[in-house]
Amino acid sequence: MTAGSPSIASGSLTGWVKRSLFKNWWSGLITIVLLPIVLLAGYRAFLFFFVNGQWDAVTRNLTLFMQGTFPRAQQWRLTAQILAFALAFGMAAGTSRASARDRAQEAGLPFHEETARATLARMWSLVGFIALLLYFATIDETGNPFNPFLLVGSAVVIAIIGFQAKRMPRRIRNLGWLLTAVLLLLGFQVVSGFGADDWIPMGLILGIAAYAVTPTPFAGALPRVVTRLVAAVVVAFTVRFVYSAVDQPGIGWDEWSGLHLTLMVSAISIILAFPVGLLLALGRRSSLPALRIMSTAYIELIRGVPLITLLFMGQFVLQQLLPQGTDLSRVTRAIAAITLFTAAYVAEIVRGGLQALPKGQTEAAQALGLSPAKTTRLIVLPQALRAVIPAMVGQFISLFKDSSLLTIIGITEFLGVREIAHAQADFRGVSIAETLVFVAIGYWAFSFAMSRESQRLERRLRVSR
Amino acid sequence: MTSEQRAQAFTDATKAKGDALIEVSDVDKFFGDFQALKNINLRVGLQEVVVVIGPSGSGKSTLIRCINRLEKHDRGSIVVDGIELTDDIKNIQEVRRETGMVFQQFNLFPHLTVIDNITLAPRQVRRLPKMEAEEEAMKLLERVGIPEQARKYPGQLSGGQQQRVAIARSLAMRPKVMLFDEVTSALDPEMIKEVLDVMVELAKGGMTMIVVTHEMGFARAVAHRVMFMADGKIVEVGTPEHFFTNPQEERTKLFLSQIL
Repeated sequence: MTAGSPSIASGSLTGWVKRSLFKNWWSGLITIVLLPIVLLAGYRAFLFFFVNGQWDAVTRNLTLFMQGTFPRAQQWRLTAQILAFALAFGMAAGTSRASARDRAQEAGLPFHEETARATLARMWSLVGFIALLLYFATIDETGNPFNPFLLVGSAVVIAIIGFQAKRMPRRIRNLGWLLTAVLLLLGFQVVSGFGADDWIPMGLILGIAAYAVTPTPFAGALPRVVTRLVAAVVVAFTVRFVYSAVDQPGIGWDEWSGLHLTLMVSAISIILAFPVGLLLALGRRSSLPALRIMSTAYIELIRGVPLITLLFMGQFVLQQLLPQGTDLSRVTRAIAAITLFTAAYVAEIVRGGLQALPKGQTEAAQALGLSPAKTTRLIVLPQALRAVIPAMVGQFISLFKDSSLLTIIGITEFLGVREIAHAQADFRGVSIAETLVFVAIGYWAFSFAMSRESQRLERRLRVSR
Repeated sequence: MTSEQRAQAFTDATKAKGDALIEVSDVDKFFGDFQALKNINLRVGLQEVVVVIGPSGSGKSTLIRCINRLEKHDRGSIVVDGIELTDDIKNIQEVRRETGMVFQQFNLFPHLTVIDNITLAPRQVRRLPKMEAEEEAMKLLERVGIPEQARKYPGQLSGGQQQRVAIARSLAMRPKVMLFDEVTSALDPEMIKEVLDVMVELAKGGMTMIVVTHEMGFARAVAHRVMFMADGKIVEVGTPEHFFTNPQEERTKLFLSQIL
């Protein structure tokens, strides 16, 4: 009894069963033992999901799970944020599609434009989760202050409009990335507010952009840098002026909660942890002993402490380390703790990538006369980072899931809002399993999408090798 | 005039004019306890082609890697075009700008297209504008015979093509001297010739070259001087004629008998 006979048509069900389940005697045995268990578990799951489960703890609290105790009167801010993010994501996808196409064309490789259907299939976990939310919303609409179908529909339309950035001519390709960054920030600040003091992130983004695009007539390196710096500073101060003129405070993130808070905390921590980790990794390999020892000490210290400890320290110890009078919000302190924690792991991942790079690469760059800084920036990092994409995304998925620990320090993120739901008279002590499963599905949908996206990124960047 | 005298004459000539492009004096190099180079003295004149041969582990590669400071010598002095290699990073950068190096494993940058590989250093170090750098790069690619590969990635090219790109990449910095470190050793036999042809063209064009190789045909055809190294020492120096017809040292004879 060996492999299934070749006469079996590959498409037929019996063929598949024979090939996959009864390939030889031991695989058949495993099938016979496991099949009843799988079927039973499937049956029980089916009963739970469709027959016995009391899902109204979820359906009637859908808004609570999504945005928690966010002030309902300020609902428009969240709607505006979703639409701004939809435009930004569409634009980012369009811009990256266009540059991938250009690269492939130049290298003479075939480029297959991904169909909309393939995009949906790739993001199926997220699409499925949104479909589930919409389905739940139809069951009980009492809690929903806005029409979820209208919201999702307009977000999709806006994302498709943003996707047309793929038509931008190559000359202004980087404009697509700049607009994406600005839109993401605007989308964030439409909730957090445009207070006079909130100009710094926007000033940074536009200042860097100004530095990059300012044309200079000078040949020398110093005058060029100086002109560009002047342009950057002028732009940054203009931004500052605009913000102080607008000065519209919004809803600070201590008032955010639910899935909204989970996604925001994760995104911000990822954005901050990446550069910090990168610098730590370079620091650990630096030839300057002080820098090397400090980086190593930091990494090893942080990696020896559980995240939950750091989160508590963020709430109770951080305040004492900072200068008197600085009063950080609770969520800020939590983000600081997660960022410092993740940065140490990112540093070790990046270091792995740096070590895997063949020595010949730096030697070739040195032999060409590139300075150490340029060798790192242009030769070492681009290759090292590509090599560690899977590990890095894995770390970010961990971060996303670990953000649920914020519940323990009393911040009501996605997992934490369950407690609010179960404090309601109708759901006290009931439907515990249902709300837990719902939250788990939510975490899984995003984690799985991230993992798929990392696989795709890996594939796409490998094409160039 | 015997071939030995001719080789001596070449050395004397560069010495007399005082314009030796590369001057290596009394150089020692250690890797831990192992002495890789023992009291090396070498002068290379302008437009001279020196071929270095010898068994593996004899210090050939170490020697040329010291000349552009990929390895640091422990004793003695190395002067390239009047600049002495010291710990001063400025001097090192200047020397590297004037010496091109081609490696056994090509060491092309796999994340950059061929043309970006070639224009990287001219744009970053010589500060050429993009257009100008690409024009120059295309000329170099034509010179090494593969202009049609400009927009491809190194991974899409054959070994021979990659090595020719590597040569073009070094030439783009307009070096005064080219160092070749066993550049054909990692190639399939049928690709060796296309790379050697490029090197022969370079030599004819008057490029100063130090070539570490096992290609005796190349040495015979192109070298002004052949240098035999063993155990970190220069055992014998002479014209190719002298070398392949009338070697003096026992160690040289043994080596040549093994490889010819």
